[in-house]
Amino acid sequence: MSAMTEHTLAAPAVTRLLPKPGTLLVGLVVIGVAVVAASSAPRVLASLLTQSVIVAFLALGVGLLIRISGLVSFGHAAPFGLGAYGAAWALSPAAPIAPEIGLLLIAPAIGAAFFLIGLVVSRIEGIAFGMLTLALGQSVHVAANKFRTLSGGSDGLIVDVPRRLWGFRTEALQTASGMLIVAVAALMAVLLALAVFERTRAGRLAVAIRENEERVRFLGYRTRAPKAVVLALSAAIPALGGVLFTLYQGFVSPEILTWGFSGQALIMAILGGSVALWGPIAGALAFFVLREELGGLTSHWLAILGTTLIVVTVTWPTGLAGAFGALGRRLTGTVAKGDPA
Amino acid sequence: MLINALNGLVYGSLLFVLSAGLVLVYGLRRVVNFAHGALYMLGAYIGWSVATLYGFAAGVVAAGVALAAVGVVLDLVLFRRLAGRQPLITVIVTFGVLLILEDVVRSVWGTGNRALDPPAALDGVVEIFGAPFPVYRLFIVAASAAMAGGLAAWLRWGRTGLFVRAASHDASVAAMCGVRTAAIGPMVVGLGAAFAGLSGIVAAPFLSIHPSMGSEILVLSFVVSVIGGLGSFAGAFVAAMLLGQVQSFGTVLLPELAALLPFLLMAGVLIFRPQGIAGTKG
Repeated sequence: MSAMTEHTLAAPAVTRLLPKPGTLLVGLVVIGVAVVAASSAPRVLASLLTQSVIVAFLALGVGLLIRISGLVSFGHAAPFGLGAYGAAWALSPAAPIAPEIGLLLIAPAIGAAFFLIGLVVSRIEGIAFGMLTLALGQSVHVAANKFRTLSGGSDGLIVDVPRRLWGFRTEALQTASGMLIVAVAALMAVLLALAVFERTRAGRLAVAIRENEERVRFLGYRTRAPKAVVLALSAAIPALGGVLFTLYQGFVSPEILTWGFSGQALIMAILGGSVALWGPIAGALAFFVLREELGGLTSHWLAILGTTLIVVTVTWPTGLAGAFGALGRRLTGTVAKGDPA
Repeated sequence: MLINALNGLVYGSLLFVLSAGLVLVYGLRRVVNFAHGALYMLGAYIGWSVATLYGFAAGVVAAGVALAAVGVVLDLVLFRRLAGRQPLITVIVTFGVLLILEDVVRSVWGTGNRALDPPAALDGVVEIFGAPFPVYRLFIVAASAAMAGGLAAWLRWGRTGLFVRAASHDASVAAMCGVRTAAIGPMVVGLGAAFAGLSGIVAAPFLSIHPSMGSEILVLSFVVSVIGGLGSFAGAFVAAMLLGQVQSFGTVLLPELAALLPFLLMAGVLIFRPQGIAGTKG
């Protein structure tokens, strides 16, 4: 009995890996809402939601890195953009393997690449990490502009999405409502996977490393691999978003590789907050809704965004997720038990 | 060959003056200022407006003074209040400042390109070893050298310069020794912003003025200060000169890869020597 409790960190039982049934239910409700929204919302709203859900994959990757590793990235447009270009290459007639297989390999491949990068850069943190990601992101952006034969340069690539993939017709993927359902379902699956990951040994080690890497090493754990796993996940998720982006838009250009785009994702992650896994997703939705509403009212959208960012970071560092958490606790009358999951 | 080296020198000195402002602010506030490129752009636009009315010299003065004022306000309103918080919070705040300044520039001056001619006295061409070379580019080198030299001399021998170095090294010990650190902050950030503004107006006739000029050069000035070692002027100088040559020869010898080289260089330095050429650990 006592032996079991002692080893919970080493081998948590499968049931303990799953989030609470209530959380799972919320995920299903969100998918249900997406289905309703996709079938009944006006086209403009549906397309806005679809865009924001696709970019939410990127914000989620950036936010995950902040949440688990405490690292701020200024270059995560790179995995998103590489995912999008990867999908374009996988769908091109010149691709060596069937698009059905190629598309599925993109996110794991980009994740694996970032795992290797993570092993190399594991000692870099803080501001230096931000600068490094900026440099890597800019390199990819420059490369996409330069190597025209591969990327089409600044003109981008137009993608012919085949009419059938995995036996399904793909027309729906290019409509806002069809893609909305697919993207939301995929996003919920990713959230579930992340919630499980955070409960595994590697996930908990990664959090411990953020708190005090030296002490974790002292306890006898290797710290390199868990950190690299988090970086890999934080890249694979945007890559998946990039694949959906290409399937939806049928077009990729270096626009989605600029550091301004990375910065926008960072803003979403911060607006949403990192105290809850879903924070960056809320941040992405808020970002797109704000841009749509304010963009129509005033031309000073950038200044308002900048001011919002400053105010949120300074006065409200837990973002939307933190605000919801506080509201929830007040409504249910429960006291905060440390970091809400 | 020689012309390439000279062009590299011109670009390198411009980068150094810009990065010097970044290094100055980092040294004191431990903040990587993402708004630095926007300050550079603001300097170019303000300088352009004044220069087209009252001549180039007035434009340079206006850019320097106006940006120094912006820097002082930035420090008093934001940086000082955030001094005790995590540096990354302040970094994100400067990102917000960048967005606001870009909006200001777009609203006041629009999104079109602006061109500024060099002043008549500097508008010629000289022969250097038989090859023609624009006088204005030599002026960039001279002006940068004067600004960098002035800054170095002030920090090295000036009484206030000594206080700045002391406060950058350890603000609380400096304060205990009687340095008014509260006054040092706005002064240093103001000076850093003025350097950004001055390099903006000096660069204007050489590069063109447009709303994305700031973010383009910001990343390069980050590359310079990271390669040099954040907070080190000597390191930034070496890195800026190196980057100038890399850019200049890269465009000729490896046109495909030239734009990639700075980032590869930076990534390499960060991986093998995270503290940069001249940086100390920590």
